[in-house]
Amino acid sequence: MPSFKLDGKEIPFEPGDTIIRAAWRQGVEIPHYCWHPGLSVAANCRMCLVEVKSDRPMMMPIVAWDEKSQSYVPANKPKLMPSCQQPAVDGQEVFAQSPEVKKAQASVQEFLLLNHPVDCPICDQAGECKLQDYYEEHQHAPKRKDTEPVHKTKGERFGETIVYDGERCVMCTRCIRFNDEVAGDHVLDMRERGNKNEITLSPGRTLDHKYTLMNEHVCPVGALTSRDFRFKARVWFLKTQQSVCTGCATGCNTLVDFDPRTQTVYRLRPRDNPAVNQYWMCDDGMMSYKRYHEGRIRNAQIRVAAGRMADTDVEDGLEAATNALKRIAGDKLAVVLSAQHSNEDNLALVRLARELGATKLYLAALGGWEGDKILRDADNNPNRRGAELVAGSPLAPLSQLLTDVAAGHVEGAIALGWASAEDAHELMPLARLKTLISLSSNEGALPSVASVVLPVASHAEAAGTFINRKGMAQQSKRAIFAPEGIKPAYETIDALSKALGRDIRLASLSEVRAQLPKAQEAQV
Amino acid sequence: MEPIEDELSEEGALELPTEPMRLNMGPSHPAMHGTIRMVLDLDGETVKGVDIQPGYLHRGFEKSCERGTWQQVFPYADRLNYVSPMLNNNGYASAVEKFLGIKVPERCEYYRVILGELARICDHLTCNGAGAMELGAFTPFLWMLKLRDFIWDILEEETGARMTHSFSRIGGMAKPPTENLERNVLDLIPKFEKTIYECERAVLRNRIFLDRVEGVGKLSKDRAMELGVTGVMLRSTGIDYDVRKSCPYSIYDRLDFEVPVGHQGDNYDRFVCRMEEMRQSLKIIRQCIQQMPKDGPVSVTDVRVMLPEKPAVYNTIEGTIAHFKLVMEGIKVPAGEVYSFSEAGNGELGFYLVSDGSGTPYRVRCRPPCWFNLNSAHEMIIGGMIADIIPTFGSVNMIGGECDR
Repeated sequence: MPSFKLDGKEIPFEPGDTIIRAAWRQGVEIPHYCWHPGLSVAANCRMCLVEVKSDRPMMMPIVAWDEKSQSYVPANKPKLMPSCQQPAVDGQEVFAQSPEVKKAQASVQEFLLLNHPVDCPICDQAGECKLQDYYEEHQHAPKRKDTEPVHKTKGERFGETIVYDGERCVMCTRCIRFNDEVAGDHVLDMRERGNKNEITLSPGRTLDHKYTLMNEHVCPVGALTSRDFRFKARVWFLKTQQSVCTGCATGCNTLVDFDPRTQTVYRLRPRDNPAVNQYWMCDDGMMSYKRYHEGRIRNAQIRVAAGRMADTDVEDGLEAATNALKRIAGDKLAVVLSAQHSNEDNLALVRLARELGATKLYLAALGGWEGDKILRDADNNPNRRGAELVAGSPLAPLSQLLTDVAAGHVEGAIALGWASAEDAHELMPLARLKTLISLSSNEGALPSVASVVLPVASHAEAAGTFINRKGMAQQSKRAIFAPEGIKPAYETIDALSKALGRDIRLASLSEVRAQLPKAQEAQV
Repeated sequence: MEPIEDELSEEGALELPTEPMRLNMGPSHPAMHGTIRMVLDLDGETVKGVDIQPGYLHRGFEKSCERGTWQQVFPYADRLNYVSPMLNNNGYASAVEKFLGIKVPERCEYYRVILGELARICDHLTCNGAGAMELGAFTPFLWMLKLRDFIWDILEEETGARMTHSFSRIGGMAKPPTENLERNVLDLIPKFEKTIYECERAVLRNRIFLDRVEGVGKLSKDRAMELGVTGVMLRSTGIDYDVRKSCPYSIYDRLDFEVPVGHQGDNYDRFVCRMEEMRQSLKIIRQCIQQMPKDGPVSVTDVRVMLPEKPAVYNTIEGTIAHFKLVMEGIKVPAGEVYSFSEAGNGELGFYLVSDGSGTPYRVRCRPPCWFNLNSAHEMIIGGMIADIIPTFGSVNMIGGECDR
């Protein structure tokens, strides 16, 4: 493999790599604003300038201060190259920390802060802002300019999701390139020049495609901020956990940002994974965190009269569910798995079904949404393949259950999850079953027709394995704690099986993980 | 004065043998400086054995430091030896500065020495004053504490607090010296000299006092060195080890002062050494007042270390960012380890710092002089009378905040 030397460190590269990309692959960061590994090269921020050693260096004529004569004298300095554009050459020597480069970095940084407003205290980017990081690392000098800064547009709505602040913008054009190259929608462009330069919407347009929130994440500064996250939390109070998006079958890798003090999730961010989502996520996926807190079921519920549920604690709910299940013969019991729940949860339910002799397995899943060729899959269920894998066979849809109920083959049912393609009205026949036990984290059509609702941990509150459309098993980790008394679904099912006198021995995550079918089997 | 009749002690020897007795002293005993417990094995009034149990003032100082930023250690450092907090402040600040490889402005060095030596005087005044009081000399105690209050007035005017100042900063001081510093210090000198003179006159010619301190609580040179004893306790045995002279730091090499030493390491030597050290401290302060540059910065200007001025923070983005980075993330101290030591009130105060390169200390290990000094206490107590524990233990000057951390 060819390699070059960066500040004395050997950096191997693949032919065609630029200096910055080769360094980035090796975990060496050359400071940059406009370069993004997933976007084309603009080379306009000039932060990534490096010195490339050459036998015939290109010298730039400058004037330098001379101490002896106490005057400026003509001098030369090596021309610096933008490392985001400069292809790596075998055996080349590159300096990213030489005095000339450091001077350039400090100057570029000073230039970018020239008209920057004093916004850190009210800016959502504060704490994760490149301007702040690079100021400390590369400039660390006081302001020299004492005139009024140039004022530009502030708080301009670019659409339902994004707000633009022209004064904070460093004109890296990452957002323009993202919309052009990834979202395929030329909705942003640049207007004016020099210090009047700003990002603008195409005439008559707003940011309204399916990937608008990515603009916030490609923006290295606080110019583009998400309206959803604006002023909600300060990032230094948030902790981050790795997870997988449950928006659709793509299974984009995510970072869950949550406040550990209040156990509240504030946002999802894309996590780089070249095999799944590269660096991106769609808006609906990023907003799927809302489900962690909205419509959350916090108590067990027992139907006391037709259409009337009473809250109770989880123990009483479990007891009611046990008594109800004891009255149903195994062959009359329908078991509904969930394409929204993890392999762990579904496996526990499949085991319980086997123990009880239930053979009728169904799958509750959302009815799909608009897919595209970028990331979004038409199947908006994260784990359809996983549910089928642990069941060992293709699963009948919920509509089949309705048919079987109408035919009188089913007397009782146990259902996982809140998600179903059918609405509460369509599921009404299930309410007339002797019993329907719903294990659900959120309100939805299935819990609304149940006779007993048992609360379970949501996606953010339990670790889980999800198998995406490519057959890749991906694990999400627990971010926040479930409300007191509420357990992951597999533990709740385990408790239920114990109450029924049948131990499925899946009480802990390690027990479940040990018995999960291997991911490779899913890829077949 | 006539010697005590020998017959009396003969008579004592003829007394019936006593039952061994176990006695708890402390932790809440007014004469046990700080909260410390001693379990004594007594034979009559003679101490046969002692189990000294420190730790009642353990706050988890070192562990607490690992949670905040490097700057946030100062309030904790204040509460180590709370009788001379400025010395701890300076010791910690210079340790981190050694780590960062920065040199503070000359004015800051002088200012630190002035405030530090004032703190040293406070430390010794408290120790000697309390020591005298416990032997019945209440008046010198009041005189000395009155003098200490005058010094606290100066410290308050300079730092804003009488005791826990948190006034040093990494890379400088929180504020430049006030205009009144010089006048205040010069005003202090006659008061100081009068007090010290009168106190010495009151106790050092007093038979009652002398009988209780001379030859009591002896510590030998060798044992002192073996135990790692430093400060006045070590010097009272005759070893002239003072960090300010032996390994001059800051600007101590430019100052003219002497290191008083004792002869036999008893309570008397320790008392007298402290008295003399106060005089030397004042001598140092007087020189510093003369030599200190009248103006110029007291802090470095590197915004990665020192907070920018408030107008810059409120009005420029550079100032805001610098402030934000320092407050939220702390000073980025390069990864590595450093040991830095200085002469505090009780001896060599060391900080062993480990950094992982972040704005938060990975480890702050403090070498408290009291801890090592306290190790010698049981040897000095055993074999003596129970009543002698008080002056002996008092002259060890264990400060709970520093010893237990």
